[in-house]
Amino acid sequence: MRDTLVAILEHHGYRVWSAPDGETAFSAVQERAFDVLVMDIRMPGRDGVSVLQEMGKPPPQVILMTAYAREDRLRAAAAADVFAVLSKPFELRRMLRLVAQASRDNK
Amino acid sequence: MTGSNTPRANSMTGKRGKRWPLRPLSAVILLVLAAGAVASSLITQKVVEDQERLILREQTAEVAAVVGSAFAGAQSSLQLLGEIARSDQGHPQLFTNAARAVTTTSTQAWLVTTQSGTSLKVTAATGDGPAVGQAVSGDQGTLARRALSAKGLVSGLVRDGGTLRLAFALGGAAGPGTVVWQESAISPTTPTPTGPTSPFHSLNVAIYLSNHPDPSALVVTTTKGLPLAGVQYPFRVGADTWLIVASSSQSLVGSLGQDMPWLVLGFGALTAVLMTAVIETLGRRRDYASALVEERTASLRSAIAEREAAQADLNRQENMAAIGQLAATVGHELRNPLAVVTNVLYLMKVGSKADANDPIRRHIATAEREISAATRIVSDLLDYAAGRGPILAPVEVCDLVAEALSVVPPPDGVQVVQRGEPQVVDVDRDQIRQALLNLITNAYDAMPDGGVLTVSTISEPGSAQITVTDTGMGMDEETRDGIFTPFFTKKARGIGLGLAVTKRVVEAHGGTIAVRSMPAAGSSFTLTLPVVAAMVSASQ
Repeated sequence: MRDTLVAILEHHGYRVWSAPDGETAFSAVQERAFDVLVMDIRMPGRDGVSVLQEMGKPPPQVILMTAYAREDRLRAAAAADVFAVLSKPFELRRMLRLVAQASRDNK
Repeated sequence: MTGSNTPRANSMTGKRGKRWPLRPLSAVILLVLAAGAVASSLITQKVVEDQERLILREQTAEVAAVVGSAFAGAQSSLQLLGEIARSDQGHPQLFTNAARAVTTTSTQAWLVTTQSGTSLKVTAATGDGPAVGQAVSGDQGTLARRALSAKGLVSGLVRDGGTLRLAFALGGAAGPGTVVWQESAISPTTPTPTGPTSPFHSLNVAIYLSNHPDPSALVVTTTKGLPLAGVQYPFRVGADTWLIVASSSQSLVGSLGQDMPWLVLGFGALTAVLMTAVIETLGRRRDYASALVEERTASLRSAIAEREAAQADLNRQENMAAIGQLAATVGHELRNPLAVVTNVLYLMKVGSKADANDPIRRHIATAEREISAATRIVSDLLDYAAGRGPILAPVEVCDLVAEALSVVPPPDGVQVVQRGEPQVVDVDRDQIRQALLNLITNAYDAMPDGGVLTVSTISEPGSAQITVTDTGMGMDEETRDGIFTPFFTKKARGIGLGLAVTKRVVEAHGGTIAVRSMPAAGSSFTLTLPVVAAMVSASQ
């Protein structure tokens, strides 16, 4: 899933850095500056909401993905301002549109 | 349930319709016994009457015998006086003395008349009758002539001025051509009382000197109530026929006999009423018991049925829960692979040649279509299995509609129109979005050859309406009736849960879903969601 999303985003001209779990994602966010963070709420190790809450740097625009729409949406809403919450399954075009908006907003 | 142990009265009256005071069986028994009592009473009355008549006849005959014997004595007296008169030629005193000796009342007269030529003359007399030498004429003459020609005693009524006399005459007693007779004044219309010691005190008697009850021939009566309705008994007095008419002045059979018909009737009526009461009571008890049994049986049956239904419901719920669990697990497991395949297909598509006629592109398009169908089935299944209650939060309806429309882009040839004013409603965003998605994808499916999809939102007091209208193939009545049933589908693909989920979601919000559709005339689904007053003001 992750690999295919990376490929798709790269196809659309984004530079993509991917992380296999929450911990890796968290350290990546600490070290580098991203325009847009597309992240599953449920990840191995550390979940998306906790990553979001502990990011120290000026945060990128965040798009959260979830397959458990309701409870995750509540948790996401509890977190800081996210750009969007994408309920799985979603149309690729919708995701691409959101990513495009988010990266435009962050510039 | 108070009074559960008494059969309801209305159910019983309902069964019998109009409420009679008696049950039919009791009524018949009452009628039969009452009729029997009346018949017995009538028969008894007839028997008593017959007995009464018999006794009356016997007593009347006895009266006649007594009267007859008294007159026989009179004939003997006349015979004897005649002998004395025949032998006392020149000594009329002898006859007078003898006659006076047998005279009992002052109104009596004793005469001897002798025929000389065609006239009759009194030749000896005593009492207050005609004197010696007087010619006999009128009633007396008629009677005397009848005595001369008759054999035996003759009797008749003689009117002498204002006095009525009863006369007995015996022809030839004092020699040929002589008549010896006796007269006594009577007052026939004055009742002669009978003392309580008389053997006939219970009779009313009238005696006529005639063979029929001729008032002018009345000799004696014991009552003023004439003519008497009773037994007529003719009897002989000398050469003449007299008549006794008798009726009973009081019961001859005794008071018990008199009252017997009434006793029988009363006893019969009492028996009838008692029997009816007993039978009615028993019948009502049986009715009550059987109604009770019926009611208990019914309640037992319904309790069993309820229990069975509850058990079946429970089983079904357990089954559904198990299936739901399974579906949720399977669905989640399928979701990710489906998403990956979708992404891969996308990559293949964008990586392939731009030529739309490239067979690979066509195959990829087919695969995308199939994957999207599979994704939708999984989503439906998960939605249906989840079945959770809505979690309400303010949502702007037009935004929600726009979001739903953006999730599923219209197929080629379908134009999308969105209308309506912004309005905030309190709904579960995910659930209503899913409901709208179901309606929108159904609408797209209904327009394979293109058309117009219109989603309009209308704000009404207390509710918000979202109407999804397509210009597609529409539905017949049978389809329209079945679309909200789970696993009902007319599509080649799909498991028939979309509209069932939609309906459940809307109803869980306290709203309604309505459908209007005609074959070949498109379909229109309207969701009506309640808006609480506070939300209306908040949205303004």
